[in-house]
Amino acid sequence: MALSARLLALRGSPFLYKLPPYLSALCVLVGIGWILLLPLNEYSRQTYVSENAILPGQVHTYFGGSEHNIFRAFRQEVYALSQQPEDARQAGILKILADSGLKTASQPYAYQVAGESINGTNVYGIVQGPRADATEAMILLAAWRNFDDQINYSGVALALTLARYFSRWSIWSKDIILLIPSDSTYGPLAWVDAYHSISIPPTSSRNISALPLKAGALQAAVALDYPAGPWGQRFSSLDILYDGLNGALPNLDLLNTAVSIASGQMGIACTLHDHATHSDSYRDRLSVLASGLATQSLGHATGPHSAFIPYHVDAITLKTVGDGWHDEMSLGRVTESVFRSINNLLEHLHQSFFFYILLNANRFVSVGNYLPAAMVLAGSFTTSALGLWVLSGRDDVLVAPLAGGLAKQKVEMETVKLGGDMALVPKRSVQTIERELFVPALLLLGVHILGYIPLWLMTSLNRETLALGLHLTTAVSLILPISLATTIRLTRSQAQILQSLSLILLGALLATLATLNFSLALVIGLLASPLAFVRRSSSSLLTAAQALSLAITSPPVAVYAFQRVFYPAAGLEKLLLELAKGWSAQGVWLLWVAWGVWWPAWVVGGVVVGSGVMSARR
Amino acid sequence: MHLSALLSLPASLAFLTFTLASASPHSYTEHLHLLPLPQSHLHAHFNFTATTPLSAYESSHFRYFPRSLAQILQHTRTKELHLRFTTGRWDDEAWGARPLDGTREGGTGVELWAWVDGEGSTTVAKERWSELVNSLSGLFCASLNFIDSTKTVRPVRTFEPEGHHGNAKGGLQLLHGMLPHEVVCTENLTPFLKLLPCKGKAGISTLLDGHKLFDATWQSMAIDVRPVCEGKAGEECVLEIQQSVSMALSIPRSMRERHDPIPRPARIEDVECDESKPWNGHDTCFPKALTGEPAWTLSKVFGHAAKGACDLERDDQAFDVTLEVPSDRPVNATGASELTFPSTTRRHYRLSASSSFDLSLPAHSTPLGQNSPPSPPLYATRQIAGHGQERGSMHTTLRNPHAHPLTLVYMETLPWYQRPYMHTLRLANGKQEKMYYTPALDRKRGTHLELVLTIPAESTATLTYDFEKAVLRYTEYPPDANRGFDVAPAVIRILANNESPQFAGSYVRTTSLLLSLPTPDFSMPYNVIILTSTVIALGFGSLFNLLTRSFVLAEEVPPSPLAGVVRRMRDLVKGLLGKNGDVAKDEESSEVKDGKTAEISRYMREETKGKANGIANGDADLRDRRARGSP
Repeated sequence: MALSARLLALRGSPFLYKLPPYLSALCVLVGIGWILLLPLNEYSRQTYVSENAILPGQVHTYFGGSEHNIFRAFRQEVYALSQQPEDARQAGILKILADSGLKTASQPYAYQVAGESINGTNVYGIVQGPRADATEAMILLAAWRNFDDQINYSGVALALTLARYFSRWSIWSKDIILLIPSDSTYGPLAWVDAYHSISIPPTSSRNISALPLKAGALQAAVALDYPAGPWGQRFSSLDILYDGLNGALPNLDLLNTAVSIASGQMGIACTLHDHATHSDSYRDRLSVLASGLATQSLGHATGPHSAFIPYHVDAITLKTVGDGWHDEMSLGRVTESVFRSINNLLEHLHQSFFFYILLNANRFVSVGNYLPAAMVLAGSFTTSALGLWVLSGRDDVLVAPLAGGLAKQKVEMETVKLGGDMALVPKRSVQTIERELFVPALLLLGVHILGYIPLWLMTSLNRETLALGLHLTTAVSLILPISLATTIRLTRSQAQILQSLSLILLGALLATLATLNFSLALVIGLLASPLAFVRRSSSSLLTAAQALSLAITSPPVAVYAFQRVFYPAAGLEKLLLELAKGWSAQGVWLLWVAWGVWWPAWVVGGVVVGSGVMSARR
Repeated sequence: MHLSALLSLPASLAFLTFTLASASPHSYTEHLHLLPLPQSHLHAHFNFTATTPLSAYESSHFRYFPRSLAQILQHTRTKELHLRFTTGRWDDEAWGARPLDGTREGGTGVELWAWVDGEGSTTVAKERWSELVNSLSGLFCASLNFIDSTKTVRPVRTFEPEGHHGNAKGGLQLLHGMLPHEVVCTENLTPFLKLLPCKGKAGISTLLDGHKLFDATWQSMAIDVRPVCEGKAGEECVLEIQQSVSMALSIPRSMRERHDPIPRPARIEDVECDESKPWNGHDTCFPKALTGEPAWTLSKVFGHAAKGACDLERDDQAFDVTLEVPSDRPVNATGASELTFPSTTRRHYRLSASSSFDLSLPAHSTPLGQNSPPSPPLYATRQIAGHGQERGSMHTTLRNPHAHPLTLVYMETLPWYQRPYMHTLRLANGKQEKMYYTPALDRKRGTHLELVLTIPAESTATLTYDFEKAVLRYTEYPPDANRGFDVAPAVIRILANNESPQFAGSYVRTTSLLLSLPTPDFSMPYNVIILTSTVIALGFGSLFNLLTRSFVLAEEVPPSPLAGVVRRMRDLVKGLLGKNGDVAKDEESSEVKDGKTAEISRYMREETKGKANGIANGDADLRDRRARGSP
């Protein structure tokens, strides 16, 4: 009873009004701290193969002997084909596939993004499992050019040798599709899109032919990336790439299978995100985690496997790294064993995790452990929004002294009753002034609609004008809040309502996004975190400081910084082109989240800060 | 050359049947047809035919006809039966037309259709069909009993009876069912061989070995029972059973040693290298493409030679094995006498009862393009497109490679949980003549769709429609729920039209499909969540009840305004009753229902029970109590 009476009395306490920003700050700190805790042993787990049917590394692999001679010949042949024009190269590959007894077909595709055209042809063949019933299929991928635009000589040659070798076995319960796309990103994308549709009507940005030959439901895909030339190159370890488009991940069992076969059966070390030396220390784990967050938040393709994952086809890329003593036969045996394991599957991969963060090749954090970080971060916006909403309904006279300490003047008091409890509170604290919602709501809607202009610019300008478009967007973005604040004179209450609505929307969107692409929600949440703390202030010094912090964390500035830090060599234009390709061809949400969610929230934050200047001038 | 050869295959079978039927009403004959296919494959067609006169059949007198099957047929009044066990795919791109025009094969898994005498009633026919599938299920160790009403359809145009049913034809009903998920295996072969008079111990049936048969790229076991009347006046009709096994074996795979079937990489000396490549060397070998046909022997391909002969009743001209190779090819046959017929492409062998029969053919390089196989009537593929858990679309392509249009019946049966949107049905590049459509009923009946189509010459027709995936009850999922659900293949029958008589009656089947449905997570954590949620809901519910409900004595309850109204109404009725006396019994009982206390309603219930004994007595008692109860 006494407690509830105290709580009632707290209603008018200045402490309550001041609390939300501190709560928000606490949320941000907890969110960051949470991520830093994840690499610890207590919060992560050893990976394990969950699906019993996989039996990784339980079969003897026979790939070797005369297959090695054939591989060398195929590698020479692939090299010879690489010296020939595109048509002859495809015909040559098709002939090798047909001679090995595969059903073959090819699919041309073309994308048109930012004035640049991407053309290519997917060449593929199907090993029809002699005892399979055509209902399921698995894919062996070897892109002609790997993700770094090198010709994948050994990878393609190995895939051809394996296809020839696989076609002699009668154990396959699923068909094996050997796919050789021209490039590593758009070829697989075009193929998998066409595989899952009857026909794709050509649009201005893409023109994909239908597949003349199909097999059953795709179960898994494994891509080989081994660009060693015709005289070979031994490798030291396998880098396993697993990120799909928009941060979707393959089933952890597929990754575990590859890791346990490569390291357990064949003795090949496995790495993630090119971390060649991993001492399993906290620092190394954290850096793999950070790389994982970075690639997942970008959501762009990281290899030929990426395109498959949105279609619920689990896929990974095995990429050879370094200079060591493992040769192509070891990679061939790993691939053979992985395919034997996938072949064992009775059901689609479903048993293990789809949401995880990897710390090294055999340690992961499951969704229950990491999701709260992004949720708490999104909660910081919601908390601030609720605080602002309450403040916006309070009288100026009351709130102003509260903000600067207890009022000295006599305050009219009123008793509040709840059941049997009574409390004495300032009268004005229980009164609500009418909130003027129309202008803030309209402004918020308008800013959100405006967000589509930079989105459109960044995705449809030509390659040459993209950078100019960004400069322009930056300039307009920086001026827009001030001009909005000067043209639309917001009252204190309206400014608070505007910020409250904007933050509540941001919090809800980020919380939703966290369930789809955790990393993107986390990164945007961190970058946007100042928005929860900026306030309308009559102090010009405080306003200037807030404006500066907002300018530093603005979306366009983040793009510049990102380019400087991560792609110093590539140039801004290249980065913007890749982002535009991601949106137009791969369907990555990143740009929409940046310009459609973050940018409007940022502009609203700027308007709120700017309106402080106006009020001071008044 | 090959076209004529393959087309004459059914003719030779018909010839066999004819000779047997005329020789004796009880007859048995067996025949193996071997035909090398392109891409190092071998097609083997085993045929075992037994007949019995209908009168003997009716009086349960059997010689070669299997008694176990005959009793089932008699009991279920099945007049014609077709049962198929099929695995693998016939590669019609490489091998051409299907053996026997596809009339002795089924879709992947098990397919069964039969004409049952329903005595004019659909219900009776269904009951007999159900008995038939259940009995056959036991006889063939297959899950045929899963062909329930949801998997049974009644095709209209796709199947015609093969036998002669005379006047009885009108009363017969055709029922058809498919089990695409059924895995055909040795356990189905053993009962199949048991039906033969020689039980797989002598004759060509000794070649049927599970290891080799089920390693085939494509195989189909068929049982066809039909009545045959040759039409000669006064001659009795016979009941004929044809058991056939048709398979396409990969010669290199079948030739592997039985004790070591692992396809290890060949020794480098055994790999034929293409020496024209500049980099050819001691460690680099570009394999030459295989052309022609490798050497093979019957005993290695089938695991062992044929032992003896199943010599039951036959004339001297009958032959057991036909090998279809050009006459200039050397063939070495042991343990059999070769019969000479005027044919350039066929060799006929007659097995001897005492020795084992073997054939061996040396490797043969056929120049490419010389013996292209006869083209099939139609190329058909069927796929499920789309992704996600909610909707999908079906996509069928039918390619007519010939210079004349084809008329065909396209039949598909869909499980009830795949709900087609018929308004989205589109046929591109073809003409739809007729449609027979039975919509699905949830959990009772699947969709049955038959279309009569005409496909123009040298063109590809595509048939598409969208469908919705139903959400199943969680008990309806099979143990391997995440695999998906098998959808039966489509059956295509080519109809006779004026321009393409040679394909009339051919059958083509597509492959079966896998349909993924929205599947709940059946994992252990899921079960734990369900269980704990239930427990918490129960516990919370009762605890919440206890905590939030205030318990008071009945006297403390303030009178509700409604109770006042009810009381006033009652008093009113009572007052009326008092005036009218005790005539209105019905009114009285309804009044009692409105009674305030539980006691009275309990008495009333006792009373209604007691009415059987003595109404007047009970009523009096009730009135008595009511009088006491009311103030």
